[in-house]
Amino acid sequence: MSEVIVVTSGKGGVGKTTSSASIAMGLARRGHKVVVIDFDVGLRNLDLIMGCERRVVYDFVNVINGEASLRQALIKDKRQENLSILAASQTRDKDALTQEGVERVLNELRADFDYIVCDSPAGIEKGAHLAMYFADRAVVVVNPEVSSVRDSDRVLGLLASKTRRVEQGEGKIQEHLLLTRYNPKRVADGDMMSLKDVEEILGIQVLGVIPESEEVLQSSNSGNPVILDLDSPAGQAYDDAVARLLGESRPLRFLEVGKKGLFQRLFGG
Amino acid sequence: MSASLEAACDLRIGQVGVGTLKLQRFDLAAIKAEMTTKVQTAPQLLRRAPVIVDLNTFSDLPDVAAVGELLDTLREAGVLPVGLTYGSSAVEALSVELGLPLFSRFRANYEPASPAAQPEPAKTTAAAAADPAPASAPPAQRSESAAPAAGFRLSLHEGHVRSGQQIYARGQDLTILGNVGPGAEVIADGNIHIYGSLRGRALAGAGGEQRARVFCREFRAELVAVAGNYRVLDDAPVELHGKALQVRLDGERLLFDPLS
Repeated sequence: MSEVIVVTSGKGGVGKTTSSASIAMGLARRGHKVVVIDFDVGLRNLDLIMGCERRVVYDFVNVINGEASLRQALIKDKRQENLSILAASQTRDKDALTQEGVERVLNELRADFDYIVCDSPAGIEKGAHLAMYFADRAVVVVNPEVSSVRDSDRVLGLLASKTRRVEQGEGKIQEHLLLTRYNPKRVADGDMMSLKDVEEILGIQVLGVIPESEEVLQSSNSGNPVILDLDSPAGQAYDDAVARLLGESRPLRFLEVGKKGLFQRLFGG
Repeated sequence: MSASLEAACDLRIGQVGVGTLKLQRFDLAAIKAEMTTKVQTAPQLLRRAPVIVDLNTFSDLPDVAAVGELLDTLREAGVLPVGLTYGSSAVEALSVELGLPLFSRFRANYEPASPAAQPEPAKTTAAAAADPAPASAPPAQRSESAAPAAGFRLSLHEGHVRSGQQIYARGQDLTILGNVGPGAEVIADGNIHIYGSLRGRALAGAGGEQRARVFCREFRAELVAVAGNYRVLDDAPVELHGKALQVRLDGERLLFDPLS
């Protein structure tokens, strides 16, 4: 039984693609067959984060238009052979996606993969709508700031009304909240909204809290999903989040301001 | 989404909120000043908002020219008069001459006031959802309502009302089991009960019922209104924040009472 997971947010720049890449990689590393699809037609980024930008020959729009087969368009990850990437088209726009086309491609993928991760574009227009429409689950990425929280609230509303599961009366889709760019120090200083604030406003619990960290940018630039860097707090936090997505129960980490140990203080670590 | 599956237009009746402007005295300068202030206080709600003009206070109706001037005055103040409220046959004749429609929704308000109407400020009623929803916003949802034979209806929404969602309970109370998010809007012709936090807008008594109230467990609203008397809570007193309270109307003033 395969599942379609949409990673969405409403607002741009909150970490959807970073999260899609790490969630897909995390699920694959746990032995599942995973494909991650870039729905951001015209602003293709996922291939960069996954480090396969030079291997894109055919893309999602080619498959929808019947110009290429799925097999031709899917890019196998070099690090994790049970993970595939379906890149977006950079030369087209969101109108190239059609509901029928997306549905056909997803159905074809369902036959071969356990998890289909859909990296949604920002906004709530056609691209984002189609990314969420066929989802069984949603990961809503939110930053601890008011505009992102409001946009997420809007997206949660759309997920509860504008998805096929809901329209066909098959029940709600499962909603998860992923709080990214969390900086415990700034929260303690009162500059940033706290986890509690965000959970209260949105009325759902988080799947994970990803601390703001330098490794995220480095990983993105080098084409390695940050979840592969298990020495970094962000990588560990994504790993926890993926475990929770699969039903494991793990305590939240990285919520407190890091206290430096005696040796670190002595030697300036 | 294939466009061919969708109808080219969608006719709905009685679902949008329109303000009514009940005139107490026919003093154009005063009306202009009062309305200009109102529009400036809540430009997002009121600028270019449609209003229906209620002339039923006057036993001697102003003539067509005077009403024409009144409509111009209102436009200058920033709102858009779209019609007259239903009333006497003279009002009907006036509406025909002006080429304006008559609206007959708020009949309860039509009792003629005493000829020497007190110099109360003009008031807008039922300014529900006066700002047009953005094109991408979902259409106002009718909350689930059951109308069994007895004519008894109830309206209950289970779950959070998210930003951009709009729920209207027509001719009844509305109960929300969840939060009303920032930018969400809940409207009822009767009372509104929110068993959660109110961070968006709640408009009770949208049809003009002045006894309607808003109740909520955690008050953090952007705007509340009862029978069109609204308050934007930009300047909400700190002591109201996060409290369980009820909002009710006393004359034209909204009162905020804690629920102990």
